[in-house]
Amino acid sequence: MEKLKSILKINLKRNFTANNIAVATVMFIVCITLICVMFMQFKTVEETDITDIENMRETELRTALAEWKTKYDAIASELVDTEQKIAEYNDKMGKNDEASELINKELEQSDTILGKTDVYGEGVVVTLRDTNEKLIHATDLVELINELRYAGAEAISVNDIRIVQNTSLVDILVDIDEQYINIDGRRIASPYVVKAIGNQTYLSSILNMKNSGFIDRYTNDNHSVECENRKRVEILKYNGEITASHLEEGEE
Amino acid sequence: MIFIAIVLGCIIGALIGINAPIIPYTYSGYLAIAIIAALDSVFGGIASTLKKNFDLKIFVSGFFGNAILSILLTYLGQRLNVDIYLAAIVVFVGRMFNNLAIIRRYYLEKFVKYRKIQKEKIVEYEGKNQSENAQKKEIKK
Repeated sequence: MEKLKSILKINLKRNFTANNIAVATVMFIVCITLICVMFMQFKTVEETDITDIENMRETELRTALAEWKTKYDAIASELVDTEQKIAEYNDKMGKNDEASELINKELEQSDTILGKTDVYGEGVVVTLRDTNEKLIHATDLVELINELRYAGAEAISVNDIRIVQNTSLVDILVDIDEQYINIDGRRIASPYVVKAIGNQTYLSSILNMKNSGFIDRYTNDNHSVECENRKRVEILKYNGEITASHLEEGEE
Repeated sequence: MIFIAIVLGCIIGALIGINAPIIPYTYSGYLAIAIIAALDSVFGGIASTLKKNFDLKIFVSGFFGNAILSILLTYLGQRLNVDIYLAAIVVFVGRMFNNLAIIRRYYLEKFVKYRKIQKEKIVEYEGKNQSENAQKKEIKK
């Protein structure tokens, strides 16, 4: 017994060196890991026979299918949203088009009324000429224009210069007995061709009124005046600029 | 003590492994490769112990490193659509056979030596007996 005890002691001493403890611990851990993993694998392999594998694959496929379906649904809803948006935009664009068309029409109309476009239509052409006895003055032209407007002329030009709302028509005195007519800073000379577009009957009847009409009065006054009715009178556009730098819009 | 640790580790590992949940089938391939790598390391360790050049650091790093590396390689192979795990299996199993051969030879040689010694002992003993008997016979005579 004594002998056995001493052998055990020696053995224990030999076994419990630091190195041995480390080796033992490491072996312990290694064994646990290896055997644990092996048994897990055994179990897995055992419990997954072929039908099971197929089942698993099926479930996997099913989950994949479900995933794709959800993705598809999401994308489909997105598509619907996008299409709606596109439709909305198209609608808006259509509205915009309508609005802009309206605005364009308005603009065109305004331009036409303002005299920013070439126009034509039925009307009269009045030609005034300087004669040796009588000269034509700006006031005569202003009177004629006034009368034409009274008769409902929609567009008037003098020597192809468009008469617009701010056109000036003045006599410029060069010498005591020499003067010329200036329209918007441009010098014009005889013959003065006044074109007017408007209702032909109104225009001609008012101009040709006995005694009070322009033509009658001026021919009686020894002026050279000719009046001509035309089916198509062409009037060029106003080629200056209509500015309103001092105007401010009043608040409504 | 080391032996006790190994046995205890095996038992505890088995208990844990049996009670552990089943891993998904998709990952069992990786685990199998890891197991083979680990087994290769274990056999390598045994062989080196027999050769008396066992190094704990090398063993541990080989055990875990090879397992992880083989898993990573398998994963890479799957991503590349190349069966790299086949190469890993070939290498590990080949090494395992090598190490097993070393172990087998070692123990076979030991066994053969032991048998030889035993035989010699028996022969010696028998020879002694014979001579003793002869002496006894002579004494009887």
